[in-house]
Amino acid sequence: MPELPQSLKQALSLVQKPGRYTGGEPGCICKDAAAVDVRMAFCFPDTYEIGMSFLGMKILYELLNAHENWWCERCFLPWVDMKAEMERLGIPLYALESKDPLTAFDIVGFSLEYELCYTNVLAMLRLAGIPLRAAERDGRWPLIIAGGPCVCNAEPMADFFDAMQLGEGEEMLQSICAAVEAAKKHGWSRERLLRELAAIPGVYVPAFYDVEYEADGRFKAIRPNRPGVPPKVTRAIVRDLDSIPPPRDFVVPMVGAVQDRACVEVLRGCVRGCRFCQAGQIYRPFRERSPAVISESARALCQNTGYDELSLSSLSTSDHSRLEEILDAVNAWAPGEHVSLSLPSLRVDNFSRSLVEKTTRVRKSGLTFAPEAGTQRLRDVINKNVTWEQLERTCRIAFSQGYTAVKLYFMMGLPTETLEDIKGIADTCQKVVDLYYSLDHAKGRGVQVTASVACFVPKPWTPFQFCAQDRREALREKQRYLLSCVRSRKVKVNYHDSATSVLEGVFAKGDRRLGRVIEAAFEAGACYDTWEEFFDYDRWLAAFAACGLDPDFYNYRPLGVEEPAPWDHLDAGVSRRYLAREYQKALRAEPSPPCNRQCSGCGADKLLGRPCF
Amino acid sequence: MTTVRIFFEKQGEAAYVSLLDLQRVFHRALKRSGLPVWYTEGFNPHIYLAFCSPLPLGQESVCESCDVKTAAEPPYGAAWAAALQPCMPGGITVTGAAAAVHKAGEVAAARYAITLPAAAAPALAAYNAAGSVPAEKKTKRGARVVELKAAVPALSWQGRGDTLRLETTLPCASDGENLNPALLLGALQTLAGEAGAAFAPWQCRILRTALLLPDGTPFC
Ligand code: SF4
Repeated sequence: MPELPQSLKQALSLVQKPGRYTGGEPGCICKDAAAVDVRMAFCFPDTYEIGMSFLGMKILYELLNAHENWWCERCFLPWVDMKAEMERLGIPLYALESKDPLTAFDIVGFSLEYELCYTNVLAMLRLAGIPLRAAERDGRWPLIIAGGPCVCNAEPMADFFDAMQLGEGEEMLQSICAAVEAAKKHGWSRERLLRELAAIPGVYVPAFYDVEYEADGRFKAIRPNRPGVPPKVTRAIVRDLDSIPPPRDFVVPMVGAVQDRACVEVLRGCVRGCRFCQAGQIYRPFRERSPAVISESARALCQNTGYDELSLSSLSTSDHSRLEEILDAVNAWAPGEHVSLSLPSLRVDNFSRSLVEKTTRVRKSGLTFAPEAGTQRLRDVINKNVTWEQLERTCRIAFSQGYTAVKLYFMMGLPTETLEDIKGIADTCQKVVDLYYSLDHAKGRGVQVTASVACFVPKPWTPFQFCAQDRREALREKQRYLLSCVRSRKVKVNYHDSATSVLEGVFAKGDRRLGRVIEAAFEAGACYDTWEEFFDYDRWLAAFAACGLDPDFYNYRPLGVEEPAPWDHLDAGVSRRYLAREYQKALRAEPSPPCNRQCSGCGADKLLGRPCF
Repeated sequence: MTTVRIFFEKQGEAAYVSLLDLQRVFHRALKRSGLPVWYTEGFNPHIYLAFCSPLPLGQESVCESCDVKTAAEPPYGAAWAAALQPCMPGGITVTGAAAAVHKAGEVAAARYAITLPAAAAPALAAYNAAGSVPAEKKTKRGARVVELKAAVPALSWQGRGDTLRLETTLPCASDGENLNPALLLGALQTLAGEAGAAFAPWQCRILRTALLLPDGTPFC
């Protein structure tokens, strides 16, 4: 085993949890760097603990490393103490498997999972000694690419990447690696490589498009600036999930990851069509894996990793049409192999006693549900098809099974919201408390209902992309009012400060000019923005001012139904017409049925090339 | 039920694997191996395992061990080691497994090979010359001063290029006297500072080479 370099040993001796920076975890893949043709550093722009909980990385890690002549390694943002030591000691950011600096790689790929990680991306590039802007890099630098849900509005980060992937990476990223392999073999220029990449379904090469703005600053158009570049980039999807089985092995973190268990993705997409939810729109259409594939992969995964807890993940696992079959298949082997099953995101509307019984380890202490809004009217507006009766029935089952804590997720700042709806949040919680005491319950055991209230952020590719975000003052007012409505100590309200949501809203709907703001804020010290203790709103405001841009322009202004948007050259699947239609229905508080009951004609079926159901 | 002692090395990057993390690593490796180890009874059964005199974070060892229970007959040896190795992180090498001869509580001392930068020589000489070398030992019940010279009256070392290597035996009883080699290293650093030849902990390597019984024979 190679000895760690002295400088790295020095840094490790000075930081908390050094095991985050050493690699070597069970399941990690080491190859001979000299013997492979393509080296990719898969970068997650957040801490090890968060990144190692991310399933997407595990999927792509296994797929890429299955190619004998490619080597995919992992890299995370070091925590503050380690980052400072690396800067002080001149240790460039390295990938965990080989400990080689990122500059030694052919491809450096970032996963953009949320808007507030944008400065973390710049911090990682800087720590690696790589110029931030694509325009400053020639073919001697690694190809810097991105993927993940944030690419559905790629513009705010477009200046920093050579290529961005819209959609699912399984096939797309393999095509990119193949193109890089060919480029190295044939000595292609960076321009030539980028042209090849632009031809891969789902790949967006920002430098090949020019943006125009109106005199008043509104976005006008984005067009290719070279022949042969597609005017619209269409999201790539895996049509048949069974054709790409889930990972059979994970790199098993030793320093506790947030999600530290075996995990199999059972379906992709969501049939619900909640109007606030970007994931529910941009992962369409709904596709399922078959029970046999799921059970067999899960078993292999548990055997290979030694995990004793298995979770079946997706946006909405209980919507799998053959869920009971999956549970039966898994339960046929799991107990004998000391594996227990947990189901995340159970839905209020199809939570059944039999499901509870089939999940062998549901932590009896806590249960979570997401009604999202406090009144039926507002739930109809956002198309969250959950009724009080369903919630009551679910809580009844849960309480009878011994649960004593319920966590309810809500949002605040939703379109058409009034104080009545805010009061509804407190009332809903109180009704759950009252229900508990109306039933037989163990003597002396009280109930705890926690309302976790997030600030709603309008996102592109949702029917609410047309809405303006609620102002901070209004949200604060609503938070105060909510607290005044809570009368019982059994009800606890958690909410977050809205400053980060403001920034999230600006980036979500922002245009390419924001790249300058992100860079200016980063140069002024912005990083770790998801961590409240490091988030400095004033620093961001100063960066906007320095760039002559007004953040309010992006998130506090409604988007016209016909108005051009900075993501118009991308096609995530759902059509603008459908989104506008859903928006109008929302304003009338009219719900829409889930896809498996009735198609709403969103347009995502074209990605599949056949009807969804 | 037999107690099987699994011996392993913990070196290089594995030095940064904490005891808590190591427990999880072994739990998973044992589970994955399918070896017939004993699970605790109860609502949430888990594999019984216990580490003998586990190493502090950052130190390395060629003589760590983990006890499990089994109803299976011996031999365990190479077959068990081979079954466990694939699930181990880099730096952990399973060297063998055998029915435990001694009880974990019988460990009295540990032997260490410590590598220091050559600049540490004056500090080592100062240690030998000093009448007393006190060190503050932090325990759960508060700090307490121990006399290092009582445990290690003198150090002898050999130069190797730009490093020095010394070997020493320190008390290592699980429920009695116990001296972390980092304490000795800390005292040497203080002496080095006084001698105007400072060195840093990361320039040193602490390798545990053996666990010993009261009579000085190896624990196994
Ligand atoms: S095309 Fe119809 S069924 Fe398919 S995702 Fe869109 S609304 Fe749902």
